[in-house]
Amino acid sequence: MADTDLYWIGIDLANGILSAAMLGGYYALISVGLALSFGVMRLVNLSHGDWLIVAAYLCVTLLAAVPVVPFWSLLVVVPLMYGIGYSVQRFLLNHVSVQAAERRGMSPVFGLMLPLLVTFGLSIVLSQGMLLIFSSDAATIKNDLSFSAIRLSEDLSVSTLRLGFFVAAAVLLGGLTLWMRSTHIGRAIRAASDDPEIAALMGMRTPHIYAVASGVALASASVAGFMVGMSRSFQPFDGPPFLLMAFGVVILGGLGSLAGSFVGGILLGIVQVLAGTYFGPAAQQVSGYLLILLVLAVRPQGLFSR
Amino acid sequence: MLRVTSLAAYYGELRAIYDISFELQRGDVLAIIGANGAGKSTLLRSLVGLMNHGSSTRMRGVVEFDGHRLDKLAPDRIVDVGVALVPEGRRLFARLSVEDNLLAGAYLARCRPAIAALLEEVYALFPRLRERRRQVVSQMSGGEQQMVAIGRALMSSPKLIIFDELSLGLSPAMVDDIYRNFTKIVESGTTTIVVEQDLKRALKSCTRFIVMLEGSIVLEGRPGEVTEEQITAAYFGTTVAVRVPGAAHG
Repeated sequence: MADTDLYWIGIDLANGILSAAMLGGYYALISVGLALSFGVMRLVNLSHGDWLIVAAYLCVTLLAAVPVVPFWSLLVVVPLMYGIGYSVQRFLLNHVSVQAAERRGMSPVFGLMLPLLVTFGLSIVLSQGMLLIFSSDAATIKNDLSFSAIRLSEDLSVSTLRLGFFVAAAVLLGGLTLWMRSTHIGRAIRAASDDPEIAALMGMRTPHIYAVASGVALASASVAGFMVGMSRSFQPFDGPPFLLMAFGVVILGGLGSLAGSFVGGILLGIVQVLAGTYFGPAAQQVSGYLLILLVLAVRPQGLFSR
Repeated sequence: MLRVTSLAAYYGELRAIYDISFELQRGDVLAIIGANGAGKSTLLRSLVGLMNHGSSTRMRGVVEFDGHRLDKLAPDRIVDVGVALVPEGRRLFARLSVEDNLLAGAYLARCRPAIAALLEEVYALFPRLRERRRQVVSQMSGGEQQMVAIGRALMSSPKLIIFDELSLGLSPAMVDDIYRNFTKIVESGTTTIVVEQDLKRALKSCTRFIVMLEGSIVLEGRPGEVTEEQITAAYFGTTVAVRVPGAAHG
């Protein structure tokens, strides 16, 4: 009898941790774009969550016009979002960035406020724009994976969709890290985030480099948006909660750290799911915020920040 | 090769340098001497395009280099025409490794085909950097960081290399080491401008010098043309400024 109890406790824990890790992948995916924007441009992009929803709507629209397997919509939406991210940074955000304010001799406080206000405005424009175009009816990316699960043993299983999130997050973050480390443009992005003035002296055109980084941030946000659309229904005003979620993860992992986003996401997932399993659903949300508070108190720069 | 005519630069309303004119021929080594606040760094910043971008700083005058008007170009174009700066305080990309810092120096499209050879040249000049190429630069000593900063500038294969405060804050042994390599760079025929606090060393290693005081040139010439006392007097502004044009006086 005791053995059976122990077995089920173990299975509960294993199921919890497994699904938490998968949830963590989802969180990491949502936050990677925000981490990149902050890490490179020191830009706190308050419209991050709305871009996720924009990407999800783009997928839905595309799939309505061309009914293929949902995954293929990413082939169009990811480059499209890259282009949008590049343009928004190049033609709007570069002119209101911390660096632009510094160049104009404005106070650093104003320099930090300016992009906050602009991205907040962008968030409003995006959500209202989506309301205008798509109305407030809930949309979803229809797929077969939502209710399927992979059985690992008789009592242990994992949601196929969440496994997909986890794999996508790992591949995306691994790929991005490799890209940042081993390509000229990746190295330039890291250099420009360290010291834009000196980066320019190396021949790096920082406006272009920031735009590339922003393009990549939105391209990764579009993968996250696709995943959101696959796993639940969404409406034009659903962006801000994702921004909050991403903020939590980025604070945990360390502002700007890609590896931190991954670990932060998984940590948040594990704490939330275990708290939910053992203390009820109310504890799930509270535990996440408590964890963020704890990290802020003990290690305010985040777990992976140098 | 480099001709600067009536250069003036401003921080807001504050005029930091004015009426700066000088010329450099290929292979020249120009030492810029002056006390803190004399305008040396502002002059160098003007040459590499850092004073004419943004509304808080501006510059006037003409800077010509190999047929290009540097005063009209952005910093990323100026390095492309062959001018590299080793900045004061090194200003390395602190979170990048030694090799990544060096590779960042060769970002320009014209440098990329030769990147392996350039890297090899820098490692031959500074073998210690090869041993530490994976190390993050923020964990290195000041002297080693200066090697990375010099190497990074060399990676853009410059025709004119500018050193701002080459030996500032380094141990005497390290300064000797850096200057040995400085001589090698100069001997390779690269035109050089160096700002140096150490007067004796500056005069020993240059072919021409200018002394700056309160934003303008108060003395210029070649080592040996004027006495060290005259230079010291110009440095501190203790005598009426005498401008020795070109190589006129011995």
